[in-house]
Amino acid sequence: MSAGARVRGAPVARVRIAIVAVALIAWEALAASGLLLHDVVPSLGKIAAALWKLVSTAPLYQNLGWTAYEIGVSLVIGGVAGVLFGLALGGNRFLSRAFEPYLHYLGPTPKIIFFPIMIMWFGVGGGSKIAMGSLSCFFPVALSTAVGMRQIEPVLVRVGKSFRASFAQMLVKIYLPAIRPAMLTGLRLGLGVAVIGVLLAETKLSNRGLGYLVIQRYTNFDMPGMYAILIVVFLLAIVANALLSRLGGSSSTTTV
Amino acid sequence: MSAPALEVQDIVKRFSHGAETVTAVDRVSFSVAPGEVLAIIGPSGCGKSTLFNVIGGLIDGYDGRVLVEGETVAGPHAAIGMVFQDESTFPWRTVEDNVAFPLEIAGVAREERLRRAREYVSLVGLAGFERHHPAQLSGGMRQRVAIARTLASRPKILLMDEPFAALDEQTRFLLGDKVLQIQQQLKQTTLLVTHNIAEAVQLADRVLVMTYRPGRVKRIAKIALPRPRSSAVASGAEFGRYVAEIWSDLRDEASRGMQDDESHLKAG
Amino acid sequence: MSESRASAFTPIAAGLATVAGVLALVEAMIHAGWINRFVVPLPSAVLASFGRVIAEENVLWRTLYTGMEALAAGVMAALVGGAIGALLTRRRVLRLATETWVAAIAAAPIVLIYPLFLVVFGRNASTIVMIGFVAGLPPVILKTVEGLSGTRRVLIDVGRSFKLTTVQEFWKIRFPAALPTIFVGFRLGIMFALINIVGVEYLINFGGLGQLVNELAERYDLPAMYAAIFFVVLVSVVFFLVTERVERWLASR
Repeated sequence: MSAGARVRGAPVARVRIAIVAVALIAWEALAASGLLLHDVVPSLGKIAAALWKLVSTAPLYQNLGWTAYEIGVSLVIGGVAGVLFGLALGGNRFLSRAFEPYLHYLGPTPKIIFFPIMIMWFGVGGGSKIAMGSLSCFFPVALSTAVGMRQIEPVLVRVGKSFRASFAQMLVKIYLPAIRPAMLTGLRLGLGVAVIGVLLAETKLSNRGLGYLVIQRYTNFDMPGMYAILIVVFLLAIVANALLSRLGGSSSTTTV
Repeated sequence: MSAPALEVQDIVKRFSHGAETVTAVDRVSFSVAPGEVLAIIGPSGCGKSTLFNVIGGLIDGYDGRVLVEGETVAGPHAAIGMVFQDESTFPWRTVEDNVAFPLEIAGVAREERLRRAREYVSLVGLAGFERHHPAQLSGGMRQRVAIARTLASRPKILLMDEPFAALDEQTRFLLGDKVLQIQQQLKQTTLLVTHNIAEAVQLADRVLVMTYRPGRVKRIAKIALPRPRSSAVASGAEFGRYVAEIWSDLRDEASRGMQDDESHLKAG
Repeated sequence: MSESRASAFTPIAAGLATVAGVLALVEAMIHAGWINRFVVPLPSAVLASFGRVIAEENVLWRTLYTGMEALAAGVMAALVGGAIGALLTRRRVLRLATETWVAAIAAAPIVLIYPLFLVVFGRNASTIVMIGFVAGLPPVILKTVEGLSGTRRVLIDVGRSFKLTTVQEFWKIRFPAALPTIFVGFRLGIMFALINIVGVEYLINFGGLGQLVNELAERYDLPAMYAAIFFVVLVSVVFFLVTERVERWLASR
């Protein structure tokens, strides 16, 4: 059990490399064996070629731009609405008891089934995707913000009152900074579900965006191409999430 | 005989929990002269924290009046500065931004308020820590920041609610010294709520002993120890005598409090 | 603690009243022509179509179908995820190597993989169950590892003092102590599975409840579609409520 103390750096890296190597070899073997329908598991070479083609031509970046724009706007709309609702619910017991249960229980539902309604209300273009993303992102932000509000140390509020801070000053100088970690957590969760909401909407009904590219590969039965775009999307999502968690981590006061 | 800085007149505060009504404070009256330190001491449950909140304007719905330099208090007053018992520094602000907070609220310009804040940071002995965050400081240092913050608003009356309760004995003594020093330097009128007898005697000119619930004024003892003072005064015979006197006042109240707790526990 | 029953009920009543009020307002606005009734159906029409939807669209059967898919995915995720979690607990190197990967997958839009599964498994229940399985796997793994490796040192020492074998230690000490956390993982897993399953049913137009929504949307039967969406949300809410209660009951034991 003292092996645990010795396990650091090198062995971990070796295990990771081993896992990846084994996976790649198994993949290539499966591709070459012809066991499955030919193109379902394309050879690594074909995937690499498709990846290169994807990354080196314009369409990826144009569609990435659209999707990023839709996700960005979703985050703003859903995020702002979520924070406002969260502040109100967290700051007022009555409101919380009256309305928070709805948010709590509606949160873990498949938002994509609201998409037909969004299409009707906002059209077949970016509007419905943004609506989808905003709806998805709203819930975790609102709930996290409300929780954050309730966890504020009461004495901090009393300090503000004892110095006769106005409502606006209390909000900006005490409430918002105090709930910042909670808001960021909510935003990270919100980003995750906004990404899903927008991408899925794009796969269902769109002629642009990363989700559209995935479906396009499917329709054309371009398997290497589908793997390529999926790889790119997942890498982007992971990087985005890592960046956001960096933001959350560095904003908190460091402890000794 | 100058006018009192603070006058508390016939304060009565009751709390109702459903069907029960509890009288926390029952007709408490006293006054504090300018530059004086008055300690309010009493057993747990004597209503001293309630009194603290009433004078500070954080509670309403009471009978009686609180007057600050002749003006009635209705809500937090500019002339009253409060230091709370709990950890109250803003963790997301640096020490100097914490101390500058009341000046920020009052609309003082950035350069000016940081300059004044740094004065008070030095005053409490934290020079060099201006850019630190509270999480990097010890509990005693954080309380000093809280005190500096309140002092920065230049209150006529400093109201403190067991400010050293969360600290260990030694830190308490040292911090008490610091507060004594500052109070004497600024001639700050101070009202200190505490349950610690030694602390009350060390810091105060007069000690007001409260009864157990409903809280009334049992006695006001004059502490005739010399000024200026330091914690060294604790080694004198006078000190011990005062502590013993006050304890004998308190003992009955404290034991009544304990019996009350026990009977509640048995019943509940 | 003497808050009367009446005052505890008031906020809930206020919430319900607000919802009812908004619906009544929408109804009025549609009647007045301010809202296009072919974009937003009359709430009363939606209400009326409930009976029709339940009777004509085999809603009960569909719910069962979706439920079965979710159960299959959930069980698979529990078994596979539990096994992987146990393995990772045992082999510290493996765990250190893969923990960030699992967390990264949990943060990625895994359900986007469904077109791939469509190709591999075809347009049938297998695709749907597999998506549910993949979505439910990460939380099960993470929570299982957290639960099993978080066993208090002193309990392990008690086991060693009785000379328990590794297998005995696992089943008699680690596993029971980890059960609450593992159940949280299972609950999250089956919830993610259900959510993604319903979503994919809608997207690929196959299956139970999700497919119903898609079909009614394509048929442009607005009131029925709204009713179906509401019904799906209701099922999801009930499911969430039930698992929440079970979790609380387990935690209180």
